[in-house]
Amino acid sequence: MNQRRPFGRPGGGPGGPGGPREGGGSMKDLGRSMHYLGRYKIITSLAYAALFISIGAQLIVPQLVQNVLDAVTDSVFARQILALPDSERATAIEQLPLSVDQLTERAVSPEGPIYWAMVFIVVFSLARGLFAFAQAFLAQKVSQDLAFDFRNELFEKIQRLSFSYHDRNRTGQLMIRATDDVEKLRMFIGQGMLLAVQSIVLLIGSLAVLAFTNLTLTLIILPVLPVALILFMVFGSVAQSLFGEIQRRLSTLNEILQENLAGIRVVKAFVREREEQDRFDNAAERLMDQHIRVSKIFSFLFPFIFLISNLGQAAVVYWGGRQILFDTLTLGEWQKFSLYLIYVFFPVGQLGFIVAQMSQASASAKRIFEILDAENEVTDKPGAQPMSQVHGRVSFTDVTFRYFNSSEPVLQNVSFEAQPGETVALLGGTGSGKSTIINLIPRFYDVSEGRVLIDDWDVRDVTLDSMRRQIGIVLQETNLFTGTIRDNIAFGRPDATDAEVHAAATAAAAHDFIVSFPDGYQTAVGERGTTLSGGQKQRVAIARALLTDPRILILDDSTSSVDVATEVLIQNALDRLMVGRTSFVIAQRISTVVNADQILVLDRGRIVDRGNHEELMRTSAIYTDIYHSQLVEDAAVEVEAPLVAEV
Amino acid sequence: MFGDRMLRQETLKPKSVGATLARFSQYFRPYWFGLTVVAVLMAVNAYTQVIGPVLIGQAVDCYLAPAAFGEGGEEGAGIQLPAETDLQTETDSQANCWYAPEVATGSPVRNDLLRGLLNITLVITGYYLVGSVTGGLMFFSMSWTGHHVLRRLRVRLFNHLHRLSLGFYTRNETGDLMSRITNDSDTIQQVVSFALVQVLSSVLLILWIVWQMVVMNWAYALISLSIVPVMGLATLWFSNQARKAFRVTRQSIGDVNAELEEGISGVREVQAFSREETNIEQFRQSNAVNRDANVKAVAYTSALAPTLEALGFLGIAIVVGVGGVLLLRGQTLAGSAISLGLIVTFLGFAQRFNMPISQISVMWTNIQSAIAGVERIFELMDEVPEVQEKFGARPMPAIRGAISLHNVEAEYVPGEPVLKGINLNASPGETVAIVGPTGAGKTTIINLIPRFWDVTGGSVRIDGIDVRDVQLYSLREQIGIVLQDTYLFSSSVMDNIRFSRANASDEEVIAAAKLAQAHDFIQRLPDGYETVLGERGAGLSQGQRQLLAIARAALADPRILILDEATSSVDTRTEQRIQAALNDLLKGRTSFVIAHRLSTIRSADQVLVLQDGEIIERGTHDGLLAQRGFYYELYMNQFRRQEDLPVQPNGSRPPASPVSVRARPAT
Repeated sequence: MNQRRPFGRPGGGPGGPGGPREGGGSMKDLGRSMHYLGRYKIITSLAYAALFISIGAQLIVPQLVQNVLDAVTDSVFARQILALPDSERATAIEQLPLSVDQLTERAVSPEGPIYWAMVFIVVFSLARGLFAFAQAFLAQKVSQDLAFDFRNELFEKIQRLSFSYHDRNRTGQLMIRATDDVEKLRMFIGQGMLLAVQSIVLLIGSLAVLAFTNLTLTLIILPVLPVALILFMVFGSVAQSLFGEIQRRLSTLNEILQENLAGIRVVKAFVREREEQDRFDNAAERLMDQHIRVSKIFSFLFPFIFLISNLGQAAVVYWGGRQILFDTLTLGEWQKFSLYLIYVFFPVGQLGFIVAQMSQASASAKRIFEILDAENEVTDKPGAQPMSQVHGRVSFTDVTFRYFNSSEPVLQNVSFEAQPGETVALLGGTGSGKSTIINLIPRFYDVSEGRVLIDDWDVRDVTLDSMRRQIGIVLQETNLFTGTIRDNIAFGRPDATDAEVHAAATAAAAHDFIVSFPDGYQTAVGERGTTLSGGQKQRVAIARALLTDPRILILDDSTSSVDVATEVLIQNALDRLMVGRTSFVIAQRISTVVNADQILVLDRGRIVDRGNHEELMRTSAIYTDIYHSQLVEDAAVEVEAPLVAEV
Repeated sequence: MFGDRMLRQETLKPKSVGATLARFSQYFRPYWFGLTVVAVLMAVNAYTQVIGPVLIGQAVDCYLAPAAFGEGGEEGAGIQLPAETDLQTETDSQANCWYAPEVATGSPVRNDLLRGLLNITLVITGYYLVGSVTGGLMFFSMSWTGHHVLRRLRVRLFNHLHRLSLGFYTRNETGDLMSRITNDSDTIQQVVSFALVQVLSSVLLILWIVWQMVVMNWAYALISLSIVPVMGLATLWFSNQARKAFRVTRQSIGDVNAELEEGISGVREVQAFSREETNIEQFRQSNAVNRDANVKAVAYTSALAPTLEALGFLGIAIVVGVGGVLLLRGQTLAGSAISLGLIVTFLGFAQRFNMPISQISVMWTNIQSAIAGVERIFELMDEVPEVQEKFGARPMPAIRGAISLHNVEAEYVPGEPVLKGINLNASPGETVAIVGPTGAGKTTIINLIPRFWDVTGGSVRIDGIDVRDVQLYSLREQIGIVLQDTYLFSSSVMDNIRFSRANASDEEVIAAAKLAQAHDFIQRLPDGYETVLGERGAGLSQGQRQLLAIARAALADPRILILDEATSSVDTRTEQRIQAALNDLLKGRTSFVIAHRLSTIRSADQVLVLQDGEIIERGTHDGLLAQRGFYYELYMNQFRRQEDLPVQPNGSRPPASPVSVRARPAT
């Protein structure tokens, strides 16, 4: 669609702080975002408490398994001793640290401990389940709360940031920060950190239990851990760029698809199917290659990590078995060992991913705070007063304006005065400063030098709200918002009555087409509603401005993509809108110019000529030039009209 | 973590699984070898995973149990049990030890046991190695195959989309098509490259483990497996609930993003109308709705893993408890005794159940939606193009430019005619202007000439040849089109102009740009002709884009030119340029113009006034004015305003609307 931005900075480029998305953040930003957790102290501490309990329960289960197995082997062993012939039994018992009674007890009542162990396993696994759920759920809840806060703050800030900020930052970039970046930060602070703690606690806990059970065996499998950790970390960092490349190639592919669907007429008209198909085929192949590259790495890495963990188990089979044979390990301990080993490898894997997540999250945090910390150039000054009802005199005194970071002035020493009710037409080419003038009146930007006065108020001395409410704006490019048509008309005055809304729509020549819709004023428009035509949108925008009943009006009198009859309707509506208000018009039509009380002819930021139509026709070469070049068509009509009338 | 992502996705139910799969399998046919390899690898991989616990059990029964039970002395080899003490447990383990029966039945020396243990450990390690290698290769081959298949599917779909005629594109919005195609191919890609093989190997593994357990001791197996159905049901229930809940979050995040997008892109309006507070409050509300929906959904996902884990522990308790008690009592189960090694083996199996069960239940739904996705893509591919080249169509000879429409009728929706019997003749070099209100059928007429659309009655002939009798390629190549909404691609200016003739040299492109009066502004662009345009030509003004479109048409040097004049106002200088460029372009070509400019109409050889699909007036501009008919009305409408305005001084007009005098104190 038309890319012209309503108040945009002419030819405004990108740049500014919203540059590329690469570049890591610092721990400082992450630390700062963690302060947000402070708002949810209770839930956060509950989550961490649940974490410790659930890990405790988890660590006990293998111990209980050991108890069962040991009870079994001990009892079998005791029975064997007791079953020995008397002489041998005596010598055997002498060698044992146990009495005959103890042995007998073990031999006859072995099932008790097993039942108890089973009961405990059930109890602890329930506890484990419950608290693991509590931990996961609370962490998710906190993370959602954080996302909520970050999004709200971002939106609030973005809504208030002045135009100059929005000139430098594109919608897409800002969107990504409020969606992707918030999501990444949420994942890390809400969940990643908790998982990191969980991993570390589980790792240390398991290792401690392992070491206490059997130090030698622990030392044998220990060297495997750093290898696994490094592998995971390497993968975590590599994965980012690999997946980034997949995303890039996928969007290239989708772009081709999109262009071919939307531009299908052009493609067919110029018989470009073959070339476009080749282009698509190429992009599809490039995407496939990257996917295969990634799966190559995946297919190597995951089995490899699995293998390492399995090798640990194999080591336990042999070295543990060996110790059983040498009697320094019981069979129950041996099983426990292999169960704990799983607990050791799992957190190692998790840690590797969290490290990768952390670097992403800190970069995201940095980008989010970049917005939250952005300085708003146009704000109410301390002690700004509400502007009372104005008459509508607008004056510029020696106004010079430069855009952010630019030494080149866009407006230079502009002075003029418009009396209440007057119409001022602004004429000039692209970049002449027309839009800058209209942007300075409602103080969308602050002047670099000079003053803008409304009545006798300097616009910088009053509250933005009270001042902007008295200014109405209608532009060629009309943004409507999701909601009903009524909502859109009442955009500036949500409390307006139905009667007022209908009256405004009628005056804007919009009422008829609105009531022709099945849902009338309740018809949904915007993203997911009915699409209005360009002309219909413009009329809704006029109604919107009419409803606020502004003293000062800013408008662009051009009409776009509408048929002749609609154009007439819009022009008439605009005329009605201007009656009795101080109006500034970016003029495209000769009729507006002819009727204006003042015409300002602008060129490269200066007013080069001013006056009304007759005066300028006499004195200004530039004006007559513009006038005549536009008049080519109209002149023909003027010649012809009487002719027709005579027929 | 991956499960979470899959649960979040939209799911669909396929209509006819069989037919879709049969058709989709065609795409896999060229890769049958790869698929066979995958199947073999899958089997080997599952085998290594089944044999692992079995061998560890053997290690216990053959080498460790004798030691654990037999040699109790603190000093290790202290007590040698006499051979005649034939104990129940020993026989159990011995009976179960098939790996090294000679060790178990004899009176092993510790060194023999150690050697045996090392040997079995090495065998286990070997299986682990084989398992990893086959697992890796299996995933790679499947993903390789899957991505090749997906690419074929994509390319075929794209080529088919090109064949579909404009009628299809009027019925389907680009955005809808886009999101359908991208979403569907995303789901399909996940499934063919990853989920499918994961689910299949999980199913195989579970079946094999169950089989192995049953073979070893069916009764003990049934008791140990009693927890598995509960696990399956739990996962199914939780993941279904989660999917339902995520459906709500998808909607609410859509709302949040829409408001965000509007709030940002419309920020200037928001500030102009002082709407910040209201918007922030509104956003806060939908943001809260989204948060709450998410919290509800994650309650289910957070419960899934802990539930499975707890059930897994329960399974371990059953295996150990039941096995231990039976072992102690020396009881048999299903006719055979429980050995220590068997307990260890079953313990190993019980731990292997968790993962595959959750994978199957989570991914199963995704496989279903992928099938539904394939089905929808096939539906698109089954769309029959309305405009099709006749069999044996001949190439269009070089066009001179005589165009005639004879009793032409056309309709987009059957029963709703858009054109009702149009007759017209244009001689070579003539300019035909078409005027009329929106919906009169102007666009349809110009769509018929390059055969973007077929007539339902009558015929369209160029130089006496029916457009349906010639090859589309040869016909369209000789027709140039400039559309109102200039479509530009996100590539360089040079490539955008060259779009009409891929093999044109740079000089030819520049010559065309000069003819179109676009050369000057192109040179002023940052990188001249190599400036890369943003999406849909962002960065250029409306007028500049029109000039590019004209250059594009000029480069094609067509015999017939079709022009849909832009209505939007551009600044006066650009306007003059466009006019001049068009005049140059129209010269010597037969042209059809949907006219919005008086100058165009005035210079046309024929003006056709169209209303409700019929030509109601025709002639020249002057002639039509003289008729004082519909055209006269149209013309007067357009210019009456200009005649009125200069007469009335500003502000002297009567107050036009009640609103403008609404309750504002006179100031």
